[in-house]
Amino acid sequence: MSNKDIHEDSFQYTDPDKVEKIFSQYPDKRSATLPLLHLAQTQGGYITSAIINTVAKLTEIHPAEVMDCVSFYTMFYSRQQGTYKLQVCQTLSCSLNGADDIVDHITQKYGTQPGETTSDGKFTLLKVECLGSCGTAPVIQINDDYHEGLSIKELDILLDSIP
Amino acid sequence: MPLLKIDSLEIEVEKGTTVLQAAMVNGIEIPYYCYHPALEIVGSCRMCLVEVEGMPKLQVSCNTFVGEAPPERKIDGKYDMVVNTHNDLVIQERKNVLEFLLLNHPLDCPVCDQAGECYLQDYSFKFGNAHSRFDEDKRVRPNEYLGSQIVINHNRCILCSRCIRFTREISGTSELFVEARGNKSKIAALEDKPLDNLLAGNVADICPVGALLSTDYIHKNRIWNLKKQPSVCQDCSVGCNVDVFYQKDKILRLTPRENHDVNGYFMCDIGRYGFHRFEDLDRITTPMARSNGSFNAVSWDEAIRKTADKLGDEGAKIAGIVSPFHTNETNFMLGQIINGPTGTLPQMNDEEIIYQSGFRISNDRSPNRRGMSDVCPALLEDLVSEIENQDVRMIYVLDDGIDREIDDVWKKILAKMDFVVVQTYAMTTLAQSANIILPGPAPYEREGTITNDGGRVQWLRPSLPMKGESRADWEILMMVMKALDKDAQDFTDIGQVMKDMGEKFPAYDGLSFFRLGPHGMSLNGRANG
Amino acid sequence: MSTFEPVLTSNITKENSHTLDFYQSIGGYSAIKKVLSMSPLEVIDVVKASNLRGRGGAGFPTGLKWSFVPKDSEKPIYLINNADESEPGTFKDRLLMNKAPHQMLEGMIIASYAIGCHTSFIYIRGEFYREYMLLEKVVAEAYENNLLGDNILGSDYSLDVVIHRGAGAYICGEETGLIESLEGKRGWPRIKPPFPAIEGYLQCPTVVNNVETLSCLPHIITRGADWFQSIGPEKGPGPRLFCVSGRVKNPGVFEEPMGIDLKDLIFEKAGGITNDNKLKAVFPGGSSSAILTAAEAIDVKMDFEELAKKKTMLGSAGVIVMDETVDMVHACLNIARFYAHESCGQCTPCREGTTWLVKMLTRMVKGRGTLKDINMLFEITDNIGGLIDFSKGSYGKTICPFGEAVAWPIRSFVEKFKDEFIKYLPQEKVAA
Repeated sequence: MSNKDIHEDSFQYTDPDKVEKIFSQYPDKRSATLPLLHLAQTQGGYITSAIINTVAKLTEIHPAEVMDCVSFYTMFYSRQQGTYKLQVCQTLSCSLNGADDIVDHITQKYGTQPGETTSDGKFTLLKVECLGSCGTAPVIQINDDYHEGLSIKELDILLDSIP
Repeated sequence: MPLLKIDSLEIEVEKGTTVLQAAMVNGIEIPYYCYHPALEIVGSCRMCLVEVEGMPKLQVSCNTFVGEAPPERKIDGKYDMVVNTHNDLVIQERKNVLEFLLLNHPLDCPVCDQAGECYLQDYSFKFGNAHSRFDEDKRVRPNEYLGSQIVINHNRCILCSRCIRFTREISGTSELFVEARGNKSKIAALEDKPLDNLLAGNVADICPVGALLSTDYIHKNRIWNLKKQPSVCQDCSVGCNVDVFYQKDKILRLTPRENHDVNGYFMCDIGRYGFHRFEDLDRITTPMARSNGSFNAVSWDEAIRKTADKLGDEGAKIAGIVSPFHTNETNFMLGQIINGPTGTLPQMNDEEIIYQSGFRISNDRSPNRRGMSDVCPALLEDLVSEIENQDVRMIYVLDDGIDREIDDVWKKILAKMDFVVVQTYAMTTLAQSANIILPGPAPYEREGTITNDGGRVQWLRPSLPMKGESRADWEILMMVMKALDKDAQDFTDIGQVMKDMGEKFPAYDGLSFFRLGPHGMSLNGRANG
Repeated sequence: MSTFEPVLTSNITKENSHTLDFYQSIGGYSAIKKVLSMSPLEVIDVVKASNLRGRGGAGFPTGLKWSFVPKDSEKPIYLINNADESEPGTFKDRLLMNKAPHQMLEGMIIASYAIGCHTSFIYIRGEFYREYMLLEKVVAEAYENNLLGDNILGSDYSLDVVIHRGAGAYICGEETGLIESLEGKRGWPRIKPPFPAIEGYLQCPTVVNNVETLSCLPHIITRGADWFQSIGPEKGPGPRLFCVSGRVKNPGVFEEPMGIDLKDLIFEKAGGITNDNKLKAVFPGGSSSAILTAAEAIDVKMDFEELAKKKTMLGSAGVIVMDETVDMVHACLNIARFYAHESCGQCTPCREGTTWLVKMLTRMVKGRGTLKDINMLFEITDNIGGLIDFSKGSYGKTICPFGEAVAWPIRSFVEKFKDEFIKYLPQEKVAA
């Protein structure tokens, strides 16, 4: 994980009311770290060092402590991802129901290995662990949405329909 | 008080003591990595596991607190807790934890600085397996600089997190963090906020393995080649206790020495690396006399005679300048010799820095201002005016040293003097204005007592031999004293100086190096203390 | 077999089952009215009497956990709803959040009242984004209708609920890891003591309860502890949501009484094995439990005590079914890789041991293993998670139960399917 990205000199939240609401919900400032990072990532696409500095200032902790937090969680990205993150669950129930085939299929279809982004920046293929919907395996999460129990054919139709 | 049975020992401990603390104090060795008395307990290395009777799992002794058990739960009717640190299960578990720790370790002791003072080596030898059962590829990472003074070898790191807790709890600067998780975890610092605070050197000390290393010391020597001299830092008035590691006439490194009345467990980087200033210095090691604008080496006899002649002159007005960089004995002796106005050169103040834990770097970067004013009571606030008013024409100066800057006021005064004697160790700005230079030891060659700003008298011990014809500062002053007065008291060793000093200044009464020991003595509560 | 009248999932097929109107129309929030007229201690006693045990995985008696909270605390008390469902094989909490969120919320209010909490958190895993959006609406609805906020239903009791999203870490389902994450740090579990009930969130007394556990509470209050106790075995009663997934025809969540035969779950409720293949092995309680062979599986009840006797656990009741087409070594590697990925890295055995297992199993799957490796698999798992001897208690060496969660399944794979592992060894090594 690179902590070398400095794309902007400073990061401003486009909706300061949301920031205020977040702080109002917790008895201390530091607890707002995760929600602030989620909000920043939704706005900025991924966590830059400018975001880390801003969150550190707002929560009154050190930037290294924010980075400590960011690098721990899989949902915070330190690099630009594709517009659509194709997160394929690979844990047991999904693996027993064709998850590996889905990964291979996407790799073949777009030429991306797991972890890579297509050259047009549209899709990033990611292998993730249990998404908590084992009953409808195999599960693929595309950005915020779960797509469950798709066959390869249905998956193709879905992917091709993404603008 | 709760009664703890640990192995075959029955001991009463204060409620709330941990099993590890009780063991350490009673000579029972329980290995540990992540525990450090100055830092929060995390219990993550799992090395200090012991068996506690009544608890199903092995417990980490660093976080197992001894308390009173209700009467029906006392073991054998009397013990509040029974601990076994040495049975088959515990011994096996230590082997297992060590095996895990060494999985990705490069086992490169031959090229690792920590060899000889490494807890991984020591515990492997005492508690570990003789060989590894790991047949896979080791995880390898390149070394990285965490700051200008600290380099990390990730492959040796056991993630005990002491360094991180240090930057969060002691220095409060939080430069270090853990990046990623699981087996990919590694210690890191942000690129634009490296580990460059003035307590950074301590992380290399507290690292139990050879992961965090001081760039100043790296690959320079081996711990078993070095001799260790306990002493006191001379770079500010806090007087942190240190260990000076040296080999022949070279100092290799300083590390902090524990003293809970002064510096706790740590020291700052100013003191830690300060010894370098005195390396490769152009030293003055023979007495010098100035004639016709240039300095010539002279014998001690000649130098002392010339000095005594001038100082012994009837009606001569002489000023004495003592120094907060010199020991109590030296300052005391000069105070005894000089009859005229006595004072110091202007104080050179610097930034006071206080860290989150309370660790302080004083704004007074001289080690003995308190002691100096204790044993030279008539120090004048405004020595300059007094010199001018009394039309003083001679000065005897104890040189502060190579860090002393001379301002314009003093440059003018020195230029006006008829006779200046400077006791020093190098051709400093001050020495250049001397008529006679008497060569004393450099800071790491000195011995004596110094008093920190908290009123603690500590034993300053020499780590390096004196050079050339240099004499101890108190000895030089004694020679001058004898030359001025043949019946003056003859001190054969510094102990006698201390005795005389104690008679004249009751707070310093009864002082001896033996009495001061490794941790010094507080003046608080003593007469005039 | 008789069909069990569902309690928690009684109306999930209705399209608007998640709305407040619907919930109130079936009697929802009447438990609150009753609870507000009781003392907190009385509420704790009712829950204790019901023998409700936690449905997150640990199975700790809920009433007992509540009673650890100091009664005279000067610090604020917190209730945290653990909605960080990440245990492989488990997907029941997601169902409850989507289809019966008010039921869960009512349970939170009951629990908060019982322990004296006035600010409660829902810690929901980050990936459940749609569920998070729904819960925000649900909580807003409750505020608008005086079911949350100041003076609930005209009483003296006030409660705020805050929804906090996780960000992708299985270990944040562990209660102290969750608390650390809630505090804005990495999810590194804490050593105990101190226990969360004394020093939890921000060093204040904290209780962490699972979604399903909380969802049971309104029913315990309205229908009584005796009713709850009468469902299933006495020591661990009540309706339970069993998740069945893997190689079955009809995977899903099945609400049944505790103590149902595992074979009924697999063959009746879940429709039997895909393609009518033969059953090979089963995870009874999520991937953190030891697997059962087919012979063991058809002879056990889904109950805390029964499964403990079989040296496994009920855990989160996430049943993962493996049939004859499943390669046990690959399945073992899959699970090992999951744990290596999710290990927080704080303590030595787990951080180093999990990756060691993955490396070793990967090498074995490629055909480069030795007999020594098979013995090492036993040793490594024992060194991470300890011996599985319930009569002596576990000898886990890690800060949190993750160590046991790694060790038990992997050890059980090797123990019960050793021949499959041996088949991967190059044959000349075996003969030697």
